[in-house]
Amino acid sequence: MNKNMIAAACALLLLVMAGSAQAIQQYLTSEQFLTEAFGNEVSKPQALWLNKETAKQVEKILGHAPHQTRQRYWRTGNSSAWILEEIGKEEPITAGFVVTDGRIAQARILTYRESRGWEVRYPAFLKQFQGAQLQVDDHLNQPVDGISGATLSVNAMVRMARLALYFDRLSRAE
Amino acid sequence: MQKKLLSLIVLSMLSGHAMATSIEDKIDMLQDEIDQLKAKAAYAEKNEGGMKGFANNTTVGGYGELHYNNFKGDVPAGEKRAKDEIDFHRFVLFFGHRFNDWISFKSELELEHSNTENGGAVELEQAYLDFNFSEKLNAKAGIFLMPLGFINETHEPPTFYGVERNFVETRIIPSTWWEAGASLYGEVAPGWKYQAGVTSSLAAEHFEKFSTKGVREARRNVSEAPAEDFGVHGRLDYSGLPGLTVGASVFTGNTGQDNPALNGADARLTLWDVHARYQADKFDLRALYAQGHLSDAAKINDAFGHEAANRFYGWYMEAAYHVWKNGEQDFAPFVRYEKWDTQADIPNNIARNDASENDVWTIGANYWPHPQVVLKADYQKFDKPDGDKGDKRFNLGLGYMF
Repeated sequence: MNKNMIAAACALLLLVMAGSAQAIQQYLTSEQFLTEAFGNEVSKPQALWLNKETAKQVEKILGHAPHQTRQRYWRTGNSSAWILEEIGKEEPITAGFVVTDGRIAQARILTYRESRGWEVRYPAFLKQFQGAQLQVDDHLNQPVDGISGATLSVNAMVRMARLALYFDRLSRAE
Repeated sequence: MQKKLLSLIVLSMLSGHAMATSIEDKIDMLQDEIDQLKAKAAYAEKNEGGMKGFANNTTVGGYGELHYNNFKGDVPAGEKRAKDEIDFHRFVLFFGHRFNDWISFKSELELEHSNTENGGAVELEQAYLDFNFSEKLNAKAGIFLMPLGFINETHEPPTFYGVERNFVETRIIPSTWWEAGASLYGEVAPGWKYQAGVTSSLAAEHFEKFSTKGVREARRNVSEAPAEDFGVHGRLDYSGLPGLTVGASVFTGNTGQDNPALNGADARLTLWDVHARYQADKFDLRALYAQGHLSDAAKINDAFGHEAANRFYGWYMEAAYHVWKNGEQDFAPFVRYEKWDTQADIPNNIARNDASENDVWTIGANYWPHPQVVLKADYQKFDKPDGDKGDKRFNLGLGYMF
């Protein structure tokens, strides 16, 4: 390959890099997600506190100890909204879940930081979570088709969906 | 008497009032303390123990695989069958670091075959800076995996079926194949991903064992590699529907590297593939076709005594079915058929090596006790002996990723 072409390609790359860099891809802010979920009637956030027993169950769902003992959430009527974070391969994915009557009503990606596996934010992928409930073993009662090359991001989304349903159950029992 | 009674009533009222005030005070004090504790916990979770704290800087990951190969069946006349083998084939560590919200570093350091004494190697397979501008345009620069086929970029053991990687993506697409350079990638439209860039190239001088290994030996692994010739690559994938990926990729570059023995011949290598995968419910189907074209093959063979071909190709189809899932556990038998020919079209200065063309059926199963841990077993039946490793093989494997 001609070296001039390489030089031109590098110059183009530098030009691109010199351009204004955007932050990590944020698709929705928390406020936008909540407005989407509840309209203009977004309630005040409430806090769910984990105790020793519930933290243990969260660890079972996530495969690691929870990063926090207090989880913020929003509730209006039978619906609750949860903004959660889990690592896909290397970076945390921020996702929002709306749970209505113990079922996932909506799943959204708020921020995606990995350099591969963006497909998890597509409506066609996220639609698969709609209607999902927790089984007795705290797994989803419906399958989620994977994405080639994004197995870890898909797994992280499934874990967060399970966690949102579990948290919703705890918050209703409080 | 009346005065005494009145004073008693006033006293009791006063003391009652005093008691009530004290309880309310105590409740208020407790409430204050609870609020302070909650505030402290919230602060700690935000600044220290929380996800943001540890994920913002350095990350570590890895994968590994242990293989057992039992060689059976016929070997070519005059050859003795290879001994069975047990090998911690790959031990890999990923290190990543995020500098800010748009620049990060990613790396993959691999120890092959457990040590460096018996043909093993310590290899830097990835070490690049990743610049995230937008979902449409990102750039990476450094050492990275060439974006061809499935396995070259995604080869953590729990992500593929069978103990060993498939033959087409090792002998036609020379996985694991990495080069140094720069590449742009992103989404052109929802569901459509692209990657395109410039990298170092292979070296024709090292097309050794071409008739059985294709272009594998000519990879220079960015280790004091020749840089007289460069290559370009491109890839386009559609994955807009859940479970579906369809795409194509190409690499083209000269491999002559100004070697005087080639008298200025370009020795251009063009390698391309088309691939598709569909994962739906319990099914997981995969197919890939890859083909390579090499110019000046005759000159390469004359200059270095190789058996390089003008054209080589391979394809495979694979089907797996997840028969049993229980919580995180998963069990899936699979079957794969592969066919390849590393000398599909040869120049007339070499004789065709009978071993260059082969096909193989692989039947086996993966069991995941956890999505990131896998136990594998399979049986392979070749059309003709795969060298001294025979024409039948039984494999066991253990793998993980994190």
